[in-house]
Formats: sequence, structure tokens, C-alpha cells
Amino acid sequence: MDFSLTSEQDLLATTARNLLAKQCPPALVRSHVTDRSVQAPLWACLRDYAELGRNNCTDLCIFLEELGYVAAPGPFFASVALFAGLLESLDADSALRDATAAGEIVGTVAVAGLNGFWVPSDDLVKSFIVDADIADHIALVHATDSGVVVTVLTNPGERALTPVSTVDQSRRFFEWDTGDEIGGIIPCSPEAWSAFIDRSHVAIAADMVGTARRLFDMTLHYAKEREQFGKPIGSFQAIQHKLADMSLVVERARASVQYASMTVDAGSADRTRACHVAKAAAGRAARSALLEGIQIHGGIGYTEEHDLHLFMRRATASEYLLGPTSWHLDRISDEIFA
Amino acid sequence: MKLEWTEPDQQFLSELRAFLDEHTPVEAANGFDFQGEANGDAIIAPWLQAWQAKLFDNGWMIPGFPPELGGRNCTPSQTMIYLEELSRRRVPRATHFPGYAIVGPSLLEYGNDDQKTLVSAAIRGDTIWCIGMSEPDAGSDLAGLTTRADLDGDTFIVNGQKVWTSYAMVASKCFCYVRTDQQAPKHKGISLLIIDMDSPGIEVRPLTHINGQAEFAEVFFTDVHVPVCNLVGELNGGWAITQGSLAHERAGLWVDGVARLEQTVTSLVELAKANGCHDDVGVRRKIAAMHELASSLRSLGYKGFASYAQGSSAPEHSYMKLASSEAGKAAFELGMEILGPYGAVTDALRGAENGRWVNSFYISFANTIAGGSSEIQRNIIAQRVLGLPRN
Repeated sequence: MDFSLTSEQDLLATTARNLLAKQCPPALVRSHVTDRSVQAPLWACLRDYAELGRNNCTDLCIFLEELGYVAAPGPFFASVALFAGLLESLDADSALRDATAAGEIVGTVAVAGLNGFWVPSDDLVKSFIVDADIADHIALVHATDSGVVVTVLTNPGERALTPVSTVDQSRRFFEWDTGDEIGGIIPCSPEAWSAFIDRSHVAIAADMVGTARRLFDMTLHYAKEREQFGKPIGSFQAIQHKLADMSLVVERARASVQYASMTVDAGSADRTRACHVAKAAAGRAARSALLEGIQIHGGIGYTEEHDLHLFMRRATASEYLLGPTSWHLDRISDEIFA
Repeated sequence: MKLEWTEPDQQFLSELRAFLDEHTPVEAANGFDFQGEANGDAIIAPWLQAWQAKLFDNGWMIPGFPPELGGRNCTPSQTMIYLEELSRRRVPRATHFPGYAIVGPSLLEYGNDDQKTLVSAAIRGDTIWCIGMSEPDAGSDLAGLTTRADLDGDTFIVNGQKVWTSYAMVASKCFCYVRTDQQAPKHKGISLLIIDMDSPGIEVRPLTHINGQAEFAEVFFTDVHVPVCNLVGELNGGWAITQGSLAHERAGLWVDGVARLEQTVTSLVELAKANGCHDDVGVRRKIAAMHELASSLRSLGYKGFASYAQGSSAPEHSYMKLASSEAGKAAFELGMEILGPYGAVTDALRGAENGRWVNSFYISFANTIAGGSSEIQRNIIAQRVLGLPRN
């Protein structure tokens, strides 16, 4: 067993960090709130990395963590983590998989029904479809009497998508009344579904760990700079202990994401459980970083002038995407009480 | 990154398993619970002392050490495999840790040739040691200790008091930190002495634990004579040695804490089922959250071990100490909560497992206080890992 990153993985993380620091500053996230088009040049840089969607989950998660760190807008998560992940699990049409891995097309998935949980259902209305307005393909997952089926449709943007607004504008969600479009030509076995959804759980957890790490880093920096009573507030034990606890919860979430991504690559029997643990741990980390992050920033953390809220919003929405923390805890308890 | 162990590591594990299958004492065959069970009247159970010697003689006491010191020169990964297997089976190495975990390794690093001859008996458990560190006014501020040793010719005269001294009532030797320079800054006036516990002027008063057991004691020194050849390391150079213990095992110290937490989570599931609240969503989520904590801590421990094996000093040790001790306490509290009105009952007849949960809860404070309290761990993380200014 070896938890250390390979030198290629170190390089991937550094490359992603440098690229995103340049291409996705907070100003871009901020302008994306009102101008959706600013995500396009970012995607033009990131599409070169779309190949990650069909390779090691560990590499994908390293990259996604950096995307979460900058709260990157755009279709990378929807297309590379979700859409490509589903196509690969289904062993679907190779031309479509190749085009997705080459970043030539952008896809997303429609899974959740009206109740919002990412469990295949026979609801005709699908919800929480990530970034559907900028996708050119959509994989519709539907439960039928004879099992789960997937239909890949083109140009979802031309359909009647209803925005589902959340506190976070870096990712957009949509609801879609599929009407008579469910054709269901690709069967999705329970094994294929499980491979896809486990991978998706650890993928969002990686993104969320990145955002939590950003909130933590901003807060640590602020505690070292901000002076009150003639010294940095980070010299006060009350603040130090909060920061120690925050870093602990972020670090253990990060480690659990790493482990879960390793189980995905190894096809380990522990995979499903590990991915639920990763999402739940990342949810706790995001919540803790948000709570203490704002508290330590004080009044300025409560404003929209400061960039903190951009990451706080991303953290909150991610916590509820692909199953809230409580849902993942319920899956864990199903397993340990079985 | 990969999940599998290498071929030599798997071979190592097979040998260990074969040894444990054949030799594990009957008293530990179903797992030995350090925190719940008294060892009869003995402070150190005779079967445990025999087991420690057997581990030593077969190279399984400290496997990273050479054979003459109870090991087999194994690799760091194999040391972790060893610690994991023992924890998984809940098979102890020894209950009295001072000799093998602190005195032996410290003497190897700092002792002179005469003092090094004490090492194998310390690790084998033939000599029982206690460690004289904490004092009534020197707890978390260990460097504030005031027990003094004044040099008179070739003899130190020791006066003062130690407290929380584990195994002092059965130990034959004490690894004792004393002040040898009253004027120097506090970290620079401390020396380490080996003191025979049968020396005239030593009085040991056992202290009863919160759960009724007496494992540690107060030790009083009144004009105790210690030959100067019992000084370990440099005069006034004792502080550096306080930091020393099994450096090559430190990266794996978390293994036992996490394994116990996982075992407690398993017990919580059984408890919830036995108390008919296995369908209670609130209870299930709390136990699942405890599982998530244990599981993510295990991953963090592995990650820290990987950095250690690559030669970096990993901050994970303080994280793991803080998190596993606090989580252990919270897990026992959850057990009491599941028991409801019977949470504080210690009566075997009424189904509260002899007060196992409340007693374990009480004892678990030892883990959040001893060896650097949770608050000290947070200071260490804040100042040494996060680079915040000292307060």
C-alpha cells in the first residue's frame, strides 16, 4: 500500500494549480454571476484535460480538487466527471466517448427526479442537471420496469430547461420535463450504475475538498494579517484552536477522497462505502471551513465585497449536490447495520 | 498510489499471522480490552509479562529493531503492517509501555555504553521502568519542572515530587527528569537521571484512577542519592531527550487509536440493535458519522505514513492524536446516550454491560489529557504546522 503521489501526479497538481490561478481568478467567478459567457475561454483551456474523464480516478480527483479550489465555472465537472464517467461505465458508443475525452463535445447527465436525490427514478421530470445550458449532449438516466436505461440526446439547450437557482452561481442547475423523449436504448446494469455513481460521489467530494481548502487558506492568511489589540488575531489561542480544528477536518476529508479514488481505480470491494465516506467527510469539511471561515473573518466575511462568499456559496451547493451529507450517512448506516 | 502490499510485505504478514495464531495467549485470544478490564490484583498481569518476553525472543516485540533487541530489522511498511495486525486482533504487546517505548529507544540514542546494556531488559520487560516527568506544577508546561538534583562530589542529591507516574509502585528503575541548573532558562537546566526505585528517600503513593484502578502514583524524593554515572546524555541536556521515543514507530502510533475507534463503532451498532433503536434515524446517523470519522482518520494516517516513509516529517501525528482521542470519548458518550436511562448504570443485572460505556467514557479522558493534551496538540498544529505566531 502506498498513499504517496507519483511524480506525474505531483506535476498534474502543480500544472492545474498554476493554470487555474491564472485562468480562473476570483474576478472571473464574480463576473460569471452575471455573464455566463466568461466560462467559455476557461473551458477552452480546460478541454485539453478532458482525457482525465476516462483515465485514473485518482488523477481526475487531483484535478477536480484544484477546480474546486478556484470555484471554476463551466462544464468540466458535468462533462468530464459525470457524462464521461457514465459513458465509460456503460462502455457506450466509442466515437462519443472519444469525442468527450478529446473535449470536442460537452455533455451532462440527467439523473435526479423531482425529489432531488441522485437515484434513478421513473419521474418524467429530471432535476439538478448540471450546466445543461452549455452542454451539447445529455445522458438521460431513467428507471423502467425492466431496469435502468440511458438515452443520449443532443442539444439539450434547445429544450425547455427551467433553471433551478441555488446560492452558488459558479455551477448552474436545471430541471427538464423530458415528456416523450425517453427512448431508453442503452441498458444500464446495476454494476455499471454503481461504478458511475461511486465515481461521481468521490468526484464531487474532491471538488468540495478543494473549495474547503480554499476557504481555509483564505482564513489562515487573514488570521496572520489582520491585527487587533496590537497583534495578529492568529496569535490568539481561541483563533488558533479553531484553525487547528478546521485544518484537521479538511485534511482528513482530503485523505478520504484520496483513499476512495484509489478504491475506484483498484475496483476494490470497499469502493461504494469509501465513496460515501469521502462525500460525507468532504461535506463536513466544507461546512466547518465555511462556518469558522466566516466567523474568523468577522464583518468583512459577511459581505459580498470580499471574495470569501464566492467559495462559501460553492461549498454550500456542493454539499447538497449528489446527495446531501445526511443521505450518505444513511447509506453508510445501511451498510454497517446490515 | 496503490492499495496492494508488495510481495515481501505480504510474506511478512503471513509469518506474523502464523506466529500469532500459534502463540497468542489465551487471555488475549478474543481480544484484550486495555480500557475496560482490570488485570486482577496485579498491576502488570504475569501472562502479559510472559507474552512480552516471548515476542522479544521471537523477534516480534519491536520488529524494526535488530534480533538482539527483540526485532527482525523489518521495513517501515512492515512495522505498520505489524501494528495493524496486533490492533485488529486486539492483542497487546505489553501494558507497561515506558520500558520498551521510551527508555529503550532513548538509551540507544543518548545513553553511554554501560547504560545501553539496560536496553534489552527494558524492551523484553524484564526490568520494569517508570518515567518521572510530570509534577504538580509542571503538567502541560513540562519544562517548568522543579524536582532538583544538586551535584555533591560524584553524587546527585535529588529532592522533589513527581506525579501521574505510571507503574511507579512496581518499577525497579525511574527515568527521571530533574533540574540541575536553577539559573539557566527553563529548557536549558534539565537533566535526565536513572534512579533505582529502592534507593533510600523514595516514597510511592498510588493514585486511584477515575474508574477505581490504581496504575499510576505520586513519587516523593527526599535527599535521594544518585551516582553521577547515572546521568543520561549531557548535563543540562535533558530537554532534547524528552522529545525522544520510538521515532520509527511514531508514524504508526495512530494505528491502535483508529483500530479501537473502529471497534467501538462496531460495538455501538451491536448496542443499538440490542436496545431496539437500530431503526432510529438519529442514532443511525450519529453512528454513521462516527464511522466516517474513523474511516477518514485511517486514510489520513496512511497518508501521513507515506510522507514519513519518504522522509518528510509529517504533521499527521498531532492530527491523529487529537482526533482519535476526542473521537473515542465522543463514541463512548454516544453509547451512554443509546442506553438512555441506563446510561450511568454499572449493575450487570440490568443490561448496561457492567457500566462498560460510562467507565470507558471516564477512562477516555486519559487519552485527551496524557501525552500532550488536546489543547497542546492544537497549539502544536497551529504554531508548527500552520505557522501561526506563538501566543
